[in-house]
Amino acid sequence: MSGVVEVGLGRRTRRGLAVWAWVVFAFLYVPIFVLVVFSFNASSRVNIWGGFSFQWYGEALRNDVITSAIRVSLIVALVSTVVSMVLGTAVALALDRYRFRGRRALDGTVYLPIVIPDITMAVMLLVFFAEAFKFIDSFGPRLTLGISTVALSHIAFNISFVCVVVRARLDQFDRTLEEAARDLYATGWQTFRRVTLPLIMPGVAAGGLLALTLSLDDVVISAFVSGPGSTTLPVYVFSSIRRGVTPELNAISTLMLAASIALVLGSLALQRRRASASQQTQVL
Amino acid sequence: MTEAVAAVEIEGVTKRFGEVVAVDDIDLAIGDGEFFALLGPSGCGKTTTLRMIAGLDLPTEGRLRIFGEEVGMAPPDRRPVNTVFQAYALFPHMTVRQNIEFGLRMRGIKGPELGRRVAEATGMVRLAGMEERRPDQLSGGQQQRVALARALVNQPKVLLLDEPLGALDLKLRQEMQQELKALQREVGITFVFVTHDQEEALAMSERIGVMSEGRLLQVGTPREIYDRPASRFVADFIGRTNILEASVESAGTVRLDSGALIDAEASTPEGSRVAVSLRPERVRLQPRGTAAAEGASLDGEVRDITYLGHAVVYEVAAGPVSVEVRVEGEVGEPFAAGDEVTVAWDRGAAAVVAD
Repeated sequence: MSGVVEVGLGRRTRRGLAVWAWVVFAFLYVPIFVLVVFSFNASSRVNIWGGFSFQWYGEALRNDVITSAIRVSLIVALVSTVVSMVLGTAVALALDRYRFRGRRALDGTVYLPIVIPDITMAVMLLVFFAEAFKFIDSFGPRLTLGISTVALSHIAFNISFVCVVVRARLDQFDRTLEEAARDLYATGWQTFRRVTLPLIMPGVAAGGLLALTLSLDDVVISAFVSGPGSTTLPVYVFSSIRRGVTPELNAISTLMLAASIALVLGSLALQRRRASASQQTQVL
Repeated sequence: MTEAVAAVEIEGVTKRFGEVVAVDDIDLAIGDGEFFALLGPSGCGKTTTLRMIAGLDLPTEGRLRIFGEEVGMAPPDRRPVNTVFQAYALFPHMTVRQNIEFGLRMRGIKGPELGRRVAEATGMVRLAGMEERRPDQLSGGQQQRVALARALVNQPKVLLLDEPLGALDLKLRQEMQQELKALQREVGITFVFVTHDQEEALAMSERIGVMSEGRLLQVGTPREIYDRPASRFVADFIGRTNILEASVESAGTVRLDSGALIDAEASTPEGSRVAVSLRPERVRLQPRGTAAAEGASLDGEVRDITYLGHAVVYEVAAGPVSVEVRVEGEVGEPFAAGDEVTVAWDRGAAAVVAD
């Protein structure tokens, strides 16, 4: 046979699609490119190029408000990620394994934080904290909004995301593996520790990564439930942008971009290493 | 079975899943060192019975003892039994060695004894050299061996096997049948295995329990089950057979519904309804009029001939009933469709089963 039979799209259509793909790509990445380029601008005017410089990175990192916001963001992200990984996995396991009173209701509502608008969630949480503080304060302590309310709020929505990802993993889980472990003298806890958890770990880790990203990303909810001194980085960026875009903000945004790219690359590398490790044993 | 204590003793065990009765009031004793098969069609309760011995399902009613010890309600990790699961259920995130070590480690065995026993088990199932592989890098047969080693390394008092050969292709299955038998003789452990394959059950086990719809219909040696089925279901399920409707005429004779009177021993009283089971390979085909002196016969006409290579199967119409006759090792085909023939058999060849 000579040549390949042309199937499907004609040549013109294919060329048109290729151009379209580049347009979409540009639409996505040109703004990021502009941001990164101008973060290295020596001029203090945002839209005029005054030569290459790291000046604004230095300014940003010397700014106490910014470094404190970075610190708050990292603490909130780490705490809410770890806690929601544990709780979200537990909820996913309970919903997958057990038939209990209220299971169906919980099954429906656990995903609510994913669907309802951030602003609704933010108002809900603010009202909740206000009421809760009023109640608790009647016993003596004086509670205020702060880093812990931000962390609690992030846990509240992250549980749902972790739960969704882990449940997807549990759907493919072969329960006879747990029976095999029980048959081989493992107790319930040992079975979970040695068989169930290692096998759902990729789901738990993926859920955790998602939670970390969402926490670092959140503006609306954090803005509502943070108090003085507990401003997160995105909230700081959002509030200072109202006073106009500064080169400092460009620098911070670029740093955040670099951090999220590092996160993605890190997780990809982790997956690849695992894949090649199992390939290596195959060769042996 | 001369042992005083049975390896497995099941007494009036019933298992209900909601409204469904999976196992219905079973009594069964399996002897020490026996190779026992639970045989039946899918959904007959054989796997549930095995799972109750393992402790993966708990009986709704009844008692279950392993070497005299009551274990009916004990969790699986408190029973001296191990299971080879149907699809092996090897831990995919562990190497062959880690899979085999699992049970020993759970019981706190480590150090030189752990190494020695794992080496012994891997050697026994000829897996030496594959310890560091993962299950997905093994063939079906090798995975089967890992599952066996993983169970046997714990030196259980009873080994349970759930359709152990079901996932293997025919040739490998026949090899593994021989290997399992040899292995069982070597370790001397009681094997209880579940299968829906009657040939496998006949070939491998010392005794068979035939189950249907949650009930245990008959327990016996392969020969007893095949030659003296206790019911129409057992006769029909084990091997091929011709079932002829009949009623008892007198102590030594049975009248077929087609009218023919044949010699056969029946245990039920005169006039009761019975079925006569005639194995296709236990009957002979003869030209009409040369009936055997000893035994019984039916006259008929050859309807159809099927050539199977190692055997020829004749379908003979004897009045309203159709009888299958299987002739092996004969050169040529002495009979053609339409021939008038007599189907004859020795006196002991027909089994009469109560309705």
